[in-house]
Amino acid sequence: MENTLTSRRSELGWSQQRLADELGVSRQTIISIEKGRYDPSLPLAFRLAAVFHCRIEDLFTPGHAPGK
Amino acid sequence: MTVKNAPSKWGRAKFGGSSAHLLAASLAAGVLLSGALGWLFMVLRNGDRPLLAFAVMAVFTLPVAAVLAWAVLVDRATLAGALEKPEDSVESAWYEKAASGAFTDILLVGGLGCAALSFLGTEGTAGPILGSVVAFAMLDFGARYLWLKKTAA
Repeated sequence: MENTLTSRRSELGWSQQRLADELGVSRQTIISIEKGRYDPSLPLAFRLAAVFHCRIEDLFTPGHAPGK
Repeated sequence: MTVKNAPSKWGRAKFGGSSAHLLAASLAAGVLLSGALGWLFMVLRNGDRPLLAFAVMAVFTLPVAAVLAWAVLVDRATLAGALEKPEDSVESAWYEKAASGAFTDILLVGGLGCAALSFLGTEGTAGPILGSVVAFAMLDFGARYLWLKKTAA
């Protein structure tokens, strides 16, 4: 999955820890999501969308499969 | 949130009170549990020195019993640094992946071990074998978890 988490977080001027505290998860979770190494659960994705006042589709997009 | 209700290092009990109350209750429960284990060990072993057996088992199980009691009695929400949604954190995903991989490895190693013992006609005692399986499981899980954590960095 690709995401726009880093840029949206920067627009708010939030640190990764600040966003993690807001969502009730660890800072490592935010790091892993931003690097594309961890796909959030559906409840977490909805909370992320609520924090950034957007839709889940605005935050996450399917990554391109190799060869396509 | 008042200072009194602020999260603390040791937390507070589910039944209320201060951290000191929680630690005292945990220690008391630990003493009871380790005493029971010591008594059980003494009765089952039925050796020459029953009181010594009781004392040794009770003393050595007390730390674990007290910590176990603390884990049961503590209110997670009162612990400093505790996450609100640990199930959504990446660490939970690492745990599940590491546990799943370790389970598969245990089946593989256990199966191959049984086959090897059958071929060799070797017999072993249950205690060391089961202890080895547990030790292997812990090491395997730990290694897998640390690898997942490292590759996520």
